[in-house]
Amino acid sequence: MVEINLLSEYCIFKQYFEKRMSDLLQNLIHDARVWQGHQHHKARHHNEPTGFAALDASPGPSGWPRGALSECLLNDHGIGELQLVLPLIRRLSQAGKTVFWVNPPHTPYAPALAREEIALDQVVIIHTNNADDLLWTLENCLRSPVTGLVMAWPDKLSSRGIRRLQLAAEAGSNLCILFRSAHHAQQSSPAALRLTLTPAAPHKLEVSTLKRRGSWPEPPGILDMPGRTGISTHRDSTIPAHVIQGPWPGPTTDPQQTRE
Amino acid sequence: MLWLYLHFPHLLLDHLQRSRKERSAMVVITESGQHVQQACARARELGIEPGLRLKTALSLASELATVQADPERERLILTQQARWLYRHAAPITLCPPDGLLVEAGNLQRLYGSVGALWDRIEQLLADHQLTASLAVGQTPLAARLCARAGRGCRDHGDDKALLAARLKALPLDHAGFEPRTLTRLLRLGLTTLGDVFALPPKELARRLAPETLVYVQKIQGNRPDPQTAWQPPHHFEQQADFIQDIERAEGLLFPLQRLLGALEDDLRWRQEDTDRLLLLLHHHQPPATPVIIGAAGPEHRAEAFLNLIRLRFEQQALTSPVTALTLQVTRFLPRQTATTEDLLGDEPDLQEAWHTLISRLQMKLGSSALHRLAPQADHRPERAWTTQGLGPLRGSGSTATVPHHPARPLWLMPHPQPLQETPRDWLAGPERISAGWWDGQRVHRDYYIAQLASGALAWVFRDVREGWFIHGWFG
Repeated sequence: MVEINLLSEYCIFKQYFEKRMSDLLQNLIHDARVWQGHQHHKARHHNEPTGFAALDASPGPSGWPRGALSECLLNDHGIGELQLVLPLIRRLSQAGKTVFWVNPPHTPYAPALAREEIALDQVVIIHTNNADDLLWTLENCLRSPVTGLVMAWPDKLSSRGIRRLQLAAEAGSNLCILFRSAHHAQQSSPAALRLTLTPAAPHKLEVSTLKRRGSWPEPPGILDMPGRTGISTHRDSTIPAHVIQGPWPGPTTDPQQTRE
Repeated sequence: MLWLYLHFPHLLLDHLQRSRKERSAMVVITESGQHVQQACARARELGIEPGLRLKTALSLASELATVQADPERERLILTQQARWLYRHAAPITLCPPDGLLVEAGNLQRLYGSVGALWDRIEQLLADHQLTASLAVGQTPLAARLCARAGRGCRDHGDDKALLAARLKALPLDHAGFEPRTLTRLLRLGLTTLGDVFALPPKELARRLAPETLVYVQKIQGNRPDPQTAWQPPHHFEQQADFIQDIERAEGLLFPLQRLLGALEDDLRWRQEDTDRLLLLLHHHQPPATPVIIGAAGPEHRAEAFLNLIRLRFEQQALTSPVTALTLQVTRFLPRQTATTEDLLGDEPDLQEAWHTLISRLQMKLGSSALHRLAPQADHRPERAWTTQGLGPLRGSGSTATVPHHPARPLWLMPHPQPLQETPRDWLAGPERISAGWWDGQRVHRDYYIAQLASGALAWVFRDVREGWFIHGWFG
């Protein structure tokens, strides 16, 4: 009698426990807090070449992962980070895909973009007021078939927010590149590609791969960006006639004084 | 000629009921507020009849919702009914306050028989959740009197003898005579309309009044009774009225669903699209709140509009309770065919996807949050670009080929910042830009490209007052 009681209680408890567990699991999966292996294989998209021989030539997977999130970690703007994505923007915009710039830190300069042969009709700038709107905007852009690339400069993003973006990028099979501060390098992130960008010589950019899904960490490499300022890079060997050489009178002294 | 008349016994009540989720007894009270004018089916079940005193009605049903009669509003509601009816039957005539007249003779050929037309209209009435009594008559007045008396019968069809017999059997108090004339006719010992028809016309005119003779002859069809056909206006306007005030924006979505459904039908019927809706939220105090819903491109689907409106209401809370809601559309665009590559293609329509995405973003963030860039012919760097609103999706290949742009940074600072340090390296310069003397915004600067200590490449300039500023970054 006692055994039967125990057995029935065990059954009830087991049913209850299984129900609780499945609810819990459903919630976890629904909120995108769990990464599932089978999704990975299903959502294997091809990569977009970066346009830089040094990056595209690596034997393993290379280029910008499609249907996934990429992160560029950098301390200062203006070190050549846009040069890195410029070939991609050029190719996508000319193919009629829209490139969204969400919350850029400065104004993307239209004459320079036109000079780089980017189809300006496909470039859309969006400014959002708060973090919720930003996430909402990115998700909507990433899920749309008109989108080719979404670039965002978020102030802060929760890791749950990043996971949601990752899912949106997978669903829309789109590219998303986040430009974030370098101190995020210590934190883990579900992004498929994480690059650390450090400034080098004027027409160079040091790129080290922090993480690449499905590949080993790669040694840091230095990229050549000859067209960055539109001037000849062989400045030291042959000085072009139109470049006037220093010494310069103004900024050698303190600029504060010169303005007075 | 054959006429079909639709009599709406409680149009205002039906109209109000459609915008509510819960069903409860409702009555319309007279303008004096003393008596019941119209009672809905549920109120009738409880024993409330038109003409009852309001106090008695309230004692019969404690949860009774009451609405003041408003002839102007009823007229508007009647016009709304004419709009949908016009798609299935024409010509139609408005008979305020509560009737619509359809010329059925020609429609008989379209629908096959009067019975088929009758069935179609009954089905449409059910779709629109309306109560109406129908009747067929050989003259407009005959149809109207039979419908008001509730004596219409589908199976009579266009049988002239049956229709005439039914008209003759109509009791005099349903015949629409003036009270004085009615009393006199009753005193003559006449009880049905047939008795009046039997009188010699001359006698009728002499004993009563010439107008009475005209009226009787119009019922019989011996005298012309021209009807003015109603033409639908080329704009869309529908209103939903609420018995209880709506205080939360989500509460508006349910009645909006029906209005947008009607709009979708209307647009489909016209084969047109629209990109601009105007919602007027009426409050107790007159100035109504206008809410403009703009889509980025032509659209007709109720669902798409509802999504946009939902986004808009999330951003904008109601300032005061809403008593009624009007949906207006005045701008119509010709419908374009989808530009898919092939007939069976699975490719999503990019133009449509673009409109959906941009409309959603604009509705959530405000239309000023999104823009495109374009170069502008000006030597001053801050004026060499401009923003553009978002139009339709443009195809590829429209690359603005401006071959001779000088070297410019990819980032421009909206406001130049003072240079606080001595650059590590100077790469190029100076490039003198001196322009704007013609419009007072004079710029006279020498631009250099310099690498700062942080490693970033800056576009710096020195102005006429020898100040050094950063104007952009070579990102």
